[in-house]
Amino acid sequence: MNRQIRKLVAGLLALYVALFAALNVTQVARQEQLADNPLNNRQTIRDFNRPRGQIVTADGVVVAESVPVPGSDQFSYQRSYPTGDLFSNVTGYYTFGFGSTQLERTQHDVLMGDTAAQKVNSLLGGADNSGSVRLTMRADVQQLAAQALGNREGSVVVMDPNTGAILAMVSYPRYDPNLVAVPDTKAAEDVLNALDAAPGKPLLANAYQENYMPGSSFKVITTAVALENGVTSLDRSWPAMTEWVPPQTVDPITNYGGSSCGGTMVQVFYRSCNIPFAQLASELGPDRMTAGVAAWGVGEKLPIDLPGAAASSFCGNVSPCDGSFFKDQLPLLAIGGFGQGNDLMVPLHMCMVASTVANKGRMMKPYVVDATLAHDGDVLDRTDPQVWKTPMNVQTAATLNTLMIGVVNNGTGRTMQLAGGIQAAGKTGTAQLNAAGQPESSHAWIIGFAPAEAPRYAVAVVLKGTSAEISAGTGGRLAGPIAKQILDYLFASE
Amino acid sequence: MVASSPLALARRRSEFGLVLMAATITGAAYVLAALGKNAQMPATIIPFLVALLALLVFAHIATRWLASGADSTLLPLAALLHGIGYVMIARLSERRAALQTTWSLIAVVAFVATLLVVQRPSDLARYKWTFLFFGAGSLLLPLVPGIGSSVGGAKIWVSIGPVNIQPGEFAKIALALFFAGYLAENRELIAAGTARLGPLRIPELRYILPITLAWGFAVAVMVAEKDLGSALLFFTLFTVMMWVATERAVFLLIGLLLFSAAAYVAWRMFDVVQTRVDIWLDPWSRYEGKGYQPAQAMFAFANGGVGGTGLGLGSPNKIPAASTDYVYAAIGEELGLVGATAVMIAFLLLFGAGFRIAVRAERPFEKLLATGLTTIVAMQAFIIIGGVLRLVPLTGITLPFVSYGGSSLLANYILLALLLRVSHSAARQRGEVPDELTFGERREARQLRKQARKQRPDDTIGMSPA
Repeated sequence: MNRQIRKLVAGLLALYVALFAALNVTQVARQEQLADNPLNNRQTIRDFNRPRGQIVTADGVVVAESVPVPGSDQFSYQRSYPTGDLFSNVTGYYTFGFGSTQLERTQHDVLMGDTAAQKVNSLLGGADNSGSVRLTMRADVQQLAAQALGNREGSVVVMDPNTGAILAMVSYPRYDPNLVAVPDTKAAEDVLNALDAAPGKPLLANAYQENYMPGSSFKVITTAVALENGVTSLDRSWPAMTEWVPPQTVDPITNYGGSSCGGTMVQVFYRSCNIPFAQLASELGPDRMTAGVAAWGVGEKLPIDLPGAAASSFCGNVSPCDGSFFKDQLPLLAIGGFGQGNDLMVPLHMCMVASTVANKGRMMKPYVVDATLAHDGDVLDRTDPQVWKTPMNVQTAATLNTLMIGVVNNGTGRTMQLAGGIQAAGKTGTAQLNAAGQPESSHAWIIGFAPAEAPRYAVAVVLKGTSAEISAGTGGRLAGPIAKQILDYLFASE
Repeated sequence: MVASSPLALARRRSEFGLVLMAATITGAAYVLAALGKNAQMPATIIPFLVALLALLVFAHIATRWLASGADSTLLPLAALLHGIGYVMIARLSERRAALQTTWSLIAVVAFVATLLVVQRPSDLARYKWTFLFFGAGSLLLPLVPGIGSSVGGAKIWVSIGPVNIQPGEFAKIALALFFAGYLAENRELIAAGTARLGPLRIPELRYILPITLAWGFAVAVMVAEKDLGSALLFFTLFTVMMWVATERAVFLLIGLLLFSAAAYVAWRMFDVVQTRVDIWLDPWSRYEGKGYQPAQAMFAFANGGVGGTGLGLGSPNKIPAASTDYVYAAIGEELGLVGATAVMIAFLLLFGAGFRIAVRAERPFEKLLATGLTTIVAMQAFIIIGGVLRLVPLTGITLPFVSYGGSSLLANYILLALLLRVSHSAARQRGEVPDELTFGERREARQLRKQARKQRPDDTIGMSPA
């Protein structure tokens, strides 16, 4: 009988070897496949049973935090956004069933305490090693910008031109991330679907994930490129003209409202004549103009520390955007010189353009994360300001500064004159979206900075031409007061 | 019968060391699970550790006293599996942990009682027919209206007052006892095949009929109760015991053929079997229904990975029946490949020790009993672990010592005691421990002496004048 028993043992051993193989296949070989299975929400459960750190503004307001879930046996925590929709375009959301976006996604490891440094720390003690993220943004400025924008579609971006630190960045429409952070995934899904289908794309941040025709605010770039290439100077002047026919066409270019417009460089800039800038673009020609515009980062994804940033464009959706695109389309190049035609600018990028003038020709990388902090408050990582582009020299920047002061003091941007005698500099834009004969439709822009002599704040405001009220206005009339209100507040609060 | 030879003493000493190790692992796991789940020390840690140590030391003293020559690894291995299972159950459900505590107590007492009552394995062989009727009766109990109840489709429960019992757990031991007893007596006659069927020599019907009937009855009842896992277990048990007893591989072949035929018929005839096979092949497309459980088990294993999530840190509660049929998936999730492999190895060592006892046993009945009992544990663990891992279709049975369930725990500790008893008996027959009289034998001897004194007052047994 012993022989049979030994054979039996061998047989059972073989069965257990098969078991061990199956165990390895399940736990090791197929682990990732199973972990990625959409039906598998264990990772989510694990994450939602651990505390997750806060996202806090520069002025100490909590904009995202974890709170206990009442009466759930599966989850201990859910995400709460105490400021509602105000910071949704920056924090993003952190959901049970639909992943996470924006800082909730990119700073996930810090917030959960999963970075290498935090894990080492946690070995030394402390069950909760969740980190936190401190923003460069100020809740008071953000709140003011949101109020000033109201329920008009558009964006406001405020930054420190010397560092690239974003102080406020608000878009309308936006969404309330609290509605999608609930444990009821069905309810969250319904909200997300509705937001997805909603007009104005509330899930997308207009301020850095969309681009719009810039209108005359683009003249800052055209002028800079022309100055850098010696095509114009402060000494140049233009006769008053009502129309000008660029090469390769018989259709004339006109000024805003069909007016007659001319004067010195300073005057045509603050009056925002179109024809001089069309001529500057034409004189530069396709190669120099496209290269000059590209030097401002147009055509590149904006290097902000948030996911999904858009790129501006000088050629619409065409790429690559170089001289060859305009060789046979010189009228389009001329129109592009004053911000119409194929120009598309991200609102954040326009704020960076104003900042570059303010920062003596150096364009800083924009950022919203000031620092990431460990649970005990130690700094894990701090963002160092970095130069992204240097599209012009100090002299050109000084000249543009002068031109932009003219806009505020004498021109289309008078609505941006600040309280207390603080000198602002700016440039307006009214981007005409409608073809001739169609109903009026235009985006209203203003970009600027202050104080002009030693700039500390740069601002860009755009109101989308989706309503009759905005389409009937101009950048100066509609966007200017918003910029003024914010800059006044910033100086008053110092 | 305190340990009385150096060899027995060494065995008991190593058993004590191993039992302490099992207790340490269990205690540490208990603390870790509470820390993982609630981030604080368990409130019940002191009573838990006291109870744990008390139970294990009690069981150990019992083996010292009642089975000093027995194998030293069986009790520690069972204690380890029991401990890991208990920690997992406590982590899954406090209510069930409280019940399991009571059952653990009862099981260990039953373990000691079994060692105490069954002092000579051969005594059991005499009651083989009793065990057959007890086993058959137990199997039929759940079918009795009024006391039988079904859980999860299987009608295998008996409710007596507040206590729910799974008589099948005890039936398997009773039937193993019967098979061992019957085959030890008749194995040569069956093996010799004194009847003829054409060119084949077959066993005479009268020798093979009782055991075939017993087996057929057991399997039929199991199928009627939709307890496919147990049916498979009985099938294997019977086939293996016939094969080992007769030393004729043809019984293995017959068993395999019968199994294949039965499996095919069952698959064709029973919806429940078809469903089982379907969800085994593809749980994903049935995720909203019966595929949910196996899919969650797969997710649990994947979530555990190599190192596991850590005790108290996974989500094994998402698996339906995580503390009973699917306890292995819960272990796989929180203890990872490492922990799941450790449990598997513990079973390997356990059945290794069981079969070593079978090989060492010198009497056919003891050999067959050890083989049968060990096969039950080894196969039961394989069937349920393989089912949970989707190596084979799932047939719900408990994982011995680990799963939640009083009947299972109680039955397995009785099984363990029987194995230790056989082991001790083998050691005694091999002269490793002194062949001392049991209590029963001493009492008998005393009575015989009394009787003898009454009959012949001047002549006493054991003190006869030269």
